[in-house]
Amino acid sequence: MTISRKCVPFTPFERELAKSAIAIVTAGGVHLKDQEPFNIADELGDLTYREILADVDSSQLMVTHHHYDHTDADRDINVVFPIDVLRDLEAEGFIGGVAKKHIGYMGYTMQLKAMYEGTAREIANDIDKTSRADAVVLTGG
Amino acid sequence: MRGIPTVLITVSPEVSAQMRPPRSLYPKGFKVGNSLGRPGRRELQKQVLRDALELLTDDTRPGSIKTIEYPEYGEQYEPPRVRKTTA
Repeated sequence: MTISRKCVPFTPFERELAKSAIAIVTAGGVHLKDQEPFNIADELGDLTYREILADVDSSQLMVTHHHYDHTDADRDINVVFPIDVLRDLEAEGFIGGVAKKHIGYMGYTMQLKAMYEGTAREIANDIDKTSRADAVVLTGG
Repeated sequence: MRGIPTVLITVSPEVSAQMRPPRSLYPKGFKVGNSLGRPGRRELQKQVLRDALELLTDDTRPGSIKTIEYPEYGEQYEPPRVRKTTA
């Protein structure tokens, strides 16, 4: 299936935020310290992604990405991957909960077709099938 | 798959617009690497995330990018531009 260049892929949100689980998908190169880092040596970019579970300790997250200055994210990962912020909003009752799974990938690639047709769909399917998310917040670097 | 509602927080609105994201927030003047604001500034981070999530329930125009100013962020930065190609 080819997506129209003029089409905005808009999925309606028909729930209440206070009853919804939210997932994060970031292109900011975020992953766990004990996961394999993204391959910044590959000039074409790294098409893989990392799964991050809801109970992650945010101090165990790091950034591998060489196309933006992540000095601030190194100090506080929430500036690109707001997992603790989501927890705060859950505690306040603003959202229903933190989804079971979140995703980090490196949002730089020279392989756009492979990213659109491969990685992006894999991430969407993964989130759809296993995160129990009602909506997703996307962030870049 | 029916699809999953998404909202994007972008600090590069001109670049992001090329991908036609369904719902987007541009926190005006935030630099690349500061999508939610500055490190350790949890109240600002919460406000940005609340504003982004509210775009899910607002009657937004698909593909539009909402710009919100956060004076508490401090120094402002120019966002990256799309490089124009000439024939």
